[in-house]
Amino acid sequence: MTADFRVSRLFRSQPFIILLVIVVLAVAISLFNPVFLSVANLSIVLQQSSVTGIATMCMVLLMISGGLDFSIGSIISLSCVVMAKLIELKYGVGLTIVVGLGVATLCGLLNGFIVAKSRCPPIIITLGMLYIYYGIALNIAQGRFLNLMGKFEALGAARFLSIPYPVLQWLAVAICLFVLLKFTVFGRRLFSLGGNEEAAFLSGIKTGSYKIIAYTINGFISGIAALVLVSRLGSVISNVGADYALRALSAAVIGGVSFEGGRGSVGGAILGVVLLGIVYNAMNILGITSYAQNIVLGIIVVAAVVFSNIGKLRK
Amino acid sequence: MIPTEELICARRLTKSFPGVLALSDVSLDLMKGELHCVVGENGAGKSTLIKIISGAFPPDRGEIVVRGHHYDSLTPAIARRLGIATIYQENVLVPQLSAAENIFLGREKRNRFKLFAPRETLRRAEEIVDAYGLRIPVGALVEELQPSEQQFVKILAALQSTPAILIMDEPTAVLDIERIRGLLALIAKVKKEGLGIIYISHHMEETLDIADRITVLKDGEVVQCHDCRTEAITVDLLTKEMIGRPLNKFFVKEKSPIGETAMTVTDLLLRKGQKPLSFTLRAGEILGIAGMGGSGRSRIVRGIFGAEPRAGGSVLVRGRKIPANSPSTAIRNGIGLLTEDRKKSGLCLNRSIRENVSLVGIRRFGRFFMNLRKESTLVKALADRLAVKTPSLAQEVRFLSGGNQQKVVLAKWLFKDVDILLFDEPTIGIDVNTKTEIYRLMSELVARGKSIIMVSSEMPELISLCDRVLVIKKGELSAVLTGDQITEENILINSIGGPR
Repeated sequence: MTADFRVSRLFRSQPFIILLVIVVLAVAISLFNPVFLSVANLSIVLQQSSVTGIATMCMVLLMISGGLDFSIGSIISLSCVVMAKLIELKYGVGLTIVVGLGVATLCGLLNGFIVAKSRCPPIIITLGMLYIYYGIALNIAQGRFLNLMGKFEALGAARFLSIPYPVLQWLAVAICLFVLLKFTVFGRRLFSLGGNEEAAFLSGIKTGSYKIIAYTINGFISGIAALVLVSRLGSVISNVGADYALRALSAAVIGGVSFEGGRGSVGGAILGVVLLGIVYNAMNILGITSYAQNIVLGIIVVAAVVFSNIGKLRK
Repeated sequence: MIPTEELICARRLTKSFPGVLALSDVSLDLMKGELHCVVGENGAGKSTLIKIISGAFPPDRGEIVVRGHHYDSLTPAIARRLGIATIYQENVLVPQLSAAENIFLGREKRNRFKLFAPRETLRRAEEIVDAYGLRIPVGALVEELQPSEQQFVKILAALQSTPAILIMDEPTAVLDIERIRGLLALIAKVKKEGLGIIYISHHMEETLDIADRITVLKDGEVVQCHDCRTEAITVDLLTKEMIGRPLNKFFVKEKSPIGETAMTVTDLLLRKGQKPLSFTLRAGEILGIAGMGGSGRSRIVRGIFGAEPRAGGSVLVRGRKIPANSPSTAIRNGIGLLTEDRKKSGLCLNRSIRENVSLVGIRRFGRFFMNLRKESTLVKALADRLAVKTPSLAQEVRFLSGGNQQKVVLAKWLFKDVDILLFDEPTIGIDVNTKTEIYRLMSELVARGKSIIMVSSEMPELISLCDRVLVIKKGELSAVLTGDQITEENILINSIGGPR
């Protein structure tokens, strides 16, 4: 009976359905253009998705704990700009990376501190922080492109078992987060915090500290996303990360991470990222203009949310 | 005179949910001016039945006949059009609006410019409240009202749609005895106006007071439909029919020895200007806290646990101070709180039974990494011991019945193995069988040397379980009852003050 229960639940879960959509889509597109299913093309899809993928991992962590961070795009931008500035000032790559990650982590800590202590809705707080971090990035870059002088090219070209560095980094973050959420006390408590904050508090969970830690990890992961981003670019500008917060949010929602907190999985979110990546890639292959691409992306997000809500509507 | 005009007739309704047959061939009819009670344990199918009749979801089979018209299923909109109004247990009022505005919600009083007319609203609301002989400050915001007053507002609001059929789901669940009488009087008046009422309740006595007919449900089937106008019905009879085995109304608790002082509460002050409260709790003792709803009983246990701020006083457990506002410290010192509202503050509804049970005692199977296999084994053992009914421990808690949800909350504290349990209305909205199971569990716990403080509105459980009862009136201690002094009369007199 237990096994049946699990199986039926799996088939009805959103990630499973997204997986089906991905398979069907892949087969359909390859009928139009066989290039799509080539290893080279799929590798490109994953590489292009990796920054979004890492940013999505931030979103999963926070959304599960009942939080949200709209400012990760600005954190990524700020971190990139800081790293580029240090390179311009002739600092070493090692120090630059440490400072880049440190800045992002600090931003996350600050977000968490304000959200936890003020008990204001994170959506509003992080919206404000978005402008603050972006403003700082603008001030550092002064509206210029900052040249990375090829210092990160080696990192961007690095491969392990022929898997490119950005994808590896994404995979590493995903595995860490998966383990954190599934197998640690901390992860379990994040789920309960998102599921019912009052119950969590009355169960002895120090909800404030947990929020601050979650947002800090979120900042650190944003820093990693920034690191991957600079490894793929020749130069950066102050809004380089701007798109990623909304993309990450979209991918997480498509992958079945609940807006209300307490529900979601790393696997589902990865599938959400992959689906978005495939759709973008397919649209490029099929020659759909970038103007029209946004419309398609929007339709997918809305469809995913509506679909995940169908069960509730029936009730 | 027995009224004969049939308002609604549900025929052979069947409804199943994954894993449960919630209703099987259930028929129910309702005449004009009649009050038809539906009784049964939690999970007997009462809620499912009224949800089908009010259109919340369709039946798998069967039909609903409303004044001669046949329907395979209803929707809430159709039900409303047919004059079916439902008052659910959950609050459907808008807390930020006044009582008067809530009464006319959706039917706002307007002036000649079609704009909202606040004064007219107040005046009409006052008229209605007076007409039913109630005392509700109609201008006050709903969030400032007592639960009982909110309940009255809900009913008055439902009546504004001039329904022919009123469905009430446990309207007295949150009320104390005095308010229940007021509510029953209101219901009697409403019935006289010719409405048909379908009434669901766990309280047998009140059911017998007001019912014209009583349908007993058990495991989704109709056991019996009694006509109270022609039959002599007793609580015993109903209880036997509901559970299929005789049950003493008063649980017989085995005496267990009372030991050392487990907790000392000194000059506890919850609201400024009130008399401070001091008492001790001893090992092996069940200490009851009685009083009318809204008398501040819950605040006492919540204050001790740190769920609510204190204005002064101290709580000592084994010589250690329990600070205000820190449930985590209270738990570390062996205190657990089972809150009054399990859905709001006891459970993570969209997480599994397993995760809810292990939430507090999570360190038992890991400091940083969790040993999931150990967790599974430990939770399984506990769930079996409490007989939680579910297809799987991975089931989300929101799918469980009220009684089973309460067992999960209990299991959460047993899993942590705390020494002092603060129970706030532990059997609220729970069927008779599960109640007895909980009572047995409480006796077991104190026999093992644990201490329990139980806030309760249920006289029988206070009387049969407690070694001592603190009676609270308006936030202050009005009496301490022990042994034979713990009687329904003593509790009542000291809660409301003065002889009846």
